[in-house]
Amino acid sequence: MTATAPAIELRGIRKVFPGVVANDDVDFEAAPGEVHALLGENGAGKSTLSHIMSGLYRPDAGEILLNGAPVLFHSPADAIDAGVCMVHQHFRLVDRFTVAENLILGDRRGAGRSFRIDPGAVVDQVRRLGERYRLPVDPRARIWQLSVGERQRVEILKALYEEAKVLILDEPTAVLTPDEADTLFETLREMVQEGRTVIFISHKLHEVTAVSDRVTVLRGGRAVATVATAEASPRSIASLMVGRELEGVQRRRGAATEGETVLSVEGLGAESHRARTTLAGVDLAVRAGEIVAVAGVAGNGQRELAEAIAGLRPRQGTVRIEGRIVRGGDPRAAYRAGLGYVPEDRLGTGVAPNLPLTMNIELKSYRHGTAGPFLRLRRMWERATEAIRAYEIKAAGPHVEADTLSGGNIQKVVLAREFGGNLKALIAASPTRGLDVSAVETVHRHLIDAADRGVGVLLISEDLDEILALADRILVMYEGSLAPVRRRDDIDEIAVLMAGGSPE
Amino acid sequence: MNNSLIVVLIASGVTYGTPILFGALGELLAERSGVLNLGVEGMMLVGAAMGFWAEQRIHIGSGALSLILGLAVAAFSGTVMAAIHAFLVVSLRASQIVSGLALTIFAGGLGLSSYLGTDLNIAGVPATHTFHAFFPNTMQNWPIVGPIVFGQNPLVYFSWLCVIAVAYYLARTRPGLNVRAVGEAPGAADAMGISVAKYRYIHTLVGGAFAGIAGATFALAITPTWNSGDSLVQGAGWIAIALVIFSFWRAELCLVGAYLFGAAQALQPELQARNISLGPTDLWANSLPYAATVIVLAAVSWRGASRRLGAPAALGVAYVREDA
Amino acid sequence: MRFTVERRLDLPRWRLVAVPIVSIALGLVLAGLVLLVTGHNPLSSYRQLFDAAFVSTGSLDQTLISATPLAFTGLAAAAAFRMRVFNIGAEGQLYIGSITGAFFGLYFGGRGAASPWVIALMVLGGMAGGAAWASIAGALRAFFGTSEILTSLMLNYIAGYLLTYLVFDSESYWRQTKGFNATVFPTGKQLPHNAVWPAWTLHTQGGIGVPLGAFLAVAAAIFLWVLYRRTRFGFEVQVLGDSEGAARYAGVRTRRKVLSVMAISGAIAGLGGVSQVGDFGHSVDGDPNGLQRLGYGYSGIVVAALGRYNPFAVLLVAFLLGGLENAGNSLQGANFPSGLVGVIEGIILFTTLGGELLIRHRVRLLRTPKTAAEAMP
Repeated sequence: MTATAPAIELRGIRKVFPGVVANDDVDFEAAPGEVHALLGENGAGKSTLSHIMSGLYRPDAGEILLNGAPVLFHSPADAIDAGVCMVHQHFRLVDRFTVAENLILGDRRGAGRSFRIDPGAVVDQVRRLGERYRLPVDPRARIWQLSVGERQRVEILKALYEEAKVLILDEPTAVLTPDEADTLFETLREMVQEGRTVIFISHKLHEVTAVSDRVTVLRGGRAVATVATAEASPRSIASLMVGRELEGVQRRRGAATEGETVLSVEGLGAESHRARTTLAGVDLAVRAGEIVAVAGVAGNGQRELAEAIAGLRPRQGTVRIEGRIVRGGDPRAAYRAGLGYVPEDRLGTGVAPNLPLTMNIELKSYRHGTAGPFLRLRRMWERATEAIRAYEIKAAGPHVEADTLSGGNIQKVVLAREFGGNLKALIAASPTRGLDVSAVETVHRHLIDAADRGVGVLLISEDLDEILALADRILVMYEGSLAPVRRRDDIDEIAVLMAGGSPE
Repeated sequence: MNNSLIVVLIASGVTYGTPILFGALGELLAERSGVLNLGVEGMMLVGAAMGFWAEQRIHIGSGALSLILGLAVAAFSGTVMAAIHAFLVVSLRASQIVSGLALTIFAGGLGLSSYLGTDLNIAGVPATHTFHAFFPNTMQNWPIVGPIVFGQNPLVYFSWLCVIAVAYYLARTRPGLNVRAVGEAPGAADAMGISVAKYRYIHTLVGGAFAGIAGATFALAITPTWNSGDSLVQGAGWIAIALVIFSFWRAELCLVGAYLFGAAQALQPELQARNISLGPTDLWANSLPYAATVIVLAAVSWRGASRRLGAPAALGVAYVREDA
Repeated sequence: MRFTVERRLDLPRWRLVAVPIVSIALGLVLAGLVLLVTGHNPLSSYRQLFDAAFVSTGSLDQTLISATPLAFTGLAAAAAFRMRVFNIGAEGQLYIGSITGAFFGLYFGGRGAASPWVIALMVLGGMAGGAAWASIAGALRAFFGTSEILTSLMLNYIAGYLLTYLVFDSESYWRQTKGFNATVFPTGKQLPHNAVWPAWTLHTQGGIGVPLGAFLAVAAAIFLWVLYRRTRFGFEVQVLGDSEGAARYAGVRTRRKVLSVMAISGAIAGLGGVSQVGDFGHSVDGDPNGLQRLGYGYSGIVVAALGRYNPFAVLLVAFLLGGLENAGNSLQGANFPSGLVGVIEGIILFTTLGGELLIRHRVRLLRTPKTAAEAMP
């Protein structure tokens, strides 16, 4: 590896966002023909670094070298021209275009730069590429018709079509079933055998050990170490990643199986916003003091499930809180009955981003304790002050606007509000997505505390580690229906269910 | 036969519909790139004033040349107006709605167009040259197609070329594909190295040029004169914006819709000329195009049809890359 | 040259004040450039405008006549825009308010009811008319999701034709049909004395008449401020205006909010319409070149945006722009082409819009480091 120059090399990269140092003096290199994993906790600076490599962000300091020669990327176009392509976690595809149209979009190569375009002409080429790399997809299909896994294939095809030499994948397995992930790993191996370089970004240790040749660990915006995967133990990598011995939050389980049923759902049905996947006949029950987790690959109806129960989406079937039927399609009724909801989309739903914390903390309770139609501003102020103190929200005061806070602190605002009322049951949808390690721990602690106080928690998450750490019982969601996992710690069974199979 | 109400209405529908069509094509291009420009009315009025002024006051020999010059000046002034909007919403991320309204107020009948018209002293004078029908009289007298197809001014035929060009551009060319991507998914376009800002600027500016030409169509072909205030355009710019919605963001359908609204506008003068009255005729006939716009808008938006039928997904949303 | 725009995390109070002031100053400079380019001396033009608006004898009187309707339409726009409901229909709602309000004045005034009652009924009638007209666009938005921008605007034209029709093309209740003048030129029927709104005279500058409408505008501003800042309703409006997702999540009934906000906005515009009749014209003005040429409804949008949708700021801006409009009218001529006022208003609105960004963001010039060594401090 010393003879040839690295395919891509970063030296002294620094990137600062308002209030955050995302990358600090990062050195990194990946050789031709290797899968190089970039490992780190959420918030360690992996995404920022990959955006810098792909030309989306410009570093405040430092340089990028390709095959030993320094390059300047002013935009993603420059990076693509230089052979660096990225598959983003949130796909960069045009939903209303066909696969072929997406591939020729912004085509950087000579042949594709003609003024006239003919998406039909690339159909065969797409098919051939698909067959060769085991990425089957119909070139004429429109993106919105495809499953999440298929969309990812389109992203990879796009990079291959652009003849990428360096391919960066940002958390590619988050949207895949374990089987789909294995297929992806084979595809990646095939690509590096042709001399390409794959940079594989993940926070999941077992994936990294399965697929990579070398690992660079990021922590707190810095590259702490680069090791050959074969020579390192998972345990040593893990401690590099966290920087201390992993405690993690572990829940004492089984204590709550005797509680009363606080949330029960029978025959729940709902439509997705494109009226495609529908929930049909979903039953579930959560006891007081219990954490029930819904696992599954994103897009299988988890969002519809949460919103239907919380009254944000029209539904069929009955939802009961402590035995009493809650009217559907009415979030106020759900709140009054004692149902809390931590939505997946924090900034778009969980808070009103440009309004002060006083209002965000009272977002649901503002109707209570008013003087006739008039708000009691002083009391709102006091409550917000109290919540900031009790939940250790880092904010200059109750007057600051919600979106000036970090993700973790916004989530604390949401939790403070949802825990404020007479909480009986709580739906938490991906409550730790995008948060840094310490914020994740805080959120987990609050969920466990709530359960210990007798709240029934329905945790919807794609993160198996989170589910295994917290849940008393696990259900797996696949194409709109739920299947129980019989042996709680049996990852194989969960994997089978996630792919739509049935255990034995 | 050619004097029957229906033929005359269709023929004048085409004439009156042409400026709406130009305005709608321009707005269509801007919206396909994700920029909503509510300033069409104002850009039209400035285009009308400047186009009329150029045709009147700049002498360059033949009538045809001075008309073309008038058109070019109108297009250019529309572009300048659109540049203000583009700068505010693309570079400074101001609210597209408020900025567009500001543009109409700034440029409109109580603003720049009146200011220019009064200052340049062009009010109330008839145009020196006008765009008028040029096919031989025998052809214009052919039954039905005569007045409808051959009795039109050259701008009508030019607008047909524009419809074909815009439709082809969007469906079959690389920049057309790129601009659709910018309007649908700016993040995806950006990641593929397409400059979102550049595409939004260019299409907003071209949209302004179309609006300017639409204004000149009033001043140099339909009215043909220039009046202070908004009496010249009378809401055609707003109808053009609505038309983009009815036509589901497709150029071909803009053509049909524009002529329907043109015919609705032609109804009142035609009824008056023929002394036909049905109740409060002026009231309902004058209101017809506006009432029709409200009704069609409501029908199209019912059950969110417009969202499914082609509204660019990122319409009205500023694009910010480094969102940390 | 490239630049990047970053969100600021702090929001010092001074910037909230300084940025609008600088924006307005910049707007005046740019408008001055327009004057300069078209061959006018900007300094003396501004000087004359200012004198004609606020200084010369009787100017404040006239300024209030323009400022009162602008205050109503500005408040109407602010009430709706605040929730991101874009009611562009204040113009038409003002016409309709003048029609319905005048009806109550003509009808009850003609029957000899006591003046305060007649006036109160006129106020209510004007508000109801404006609210009803606005509710057409409001209902279409709430139930069909139709863009209220376009529908409310189209309804302006229809209301204008209706206004003209009632006075010019028909023998309606609002038209003066008897007397010499009526045969020469169509006019609206004069209000009886007990329906004419009172004015109070301030003894400065030779006596300034402050119309009842001006007081009603202040009352409307106070009402809006309390409603939006201090009540449950206002809480919901603020949440819905900021994030529809959060509002639905909080259980806000979004349809009802859109309907009520449109109705409130229309009622305030309608109040402006009836104030035109009761305070100033004393009859419905159906002349297409009269009320309809003044464009109070459209200028109200400028007033609201410059006042950043704050009711009290809207009052202040309405007074200033009222002065500008008044000066524009009284100076109109070779040195002051018509449309100048709209140009100045538009430019100031542009600069203020641009300035909004600077309140919350920082613009930074980009300098890409060539090498790592150069970038290191």
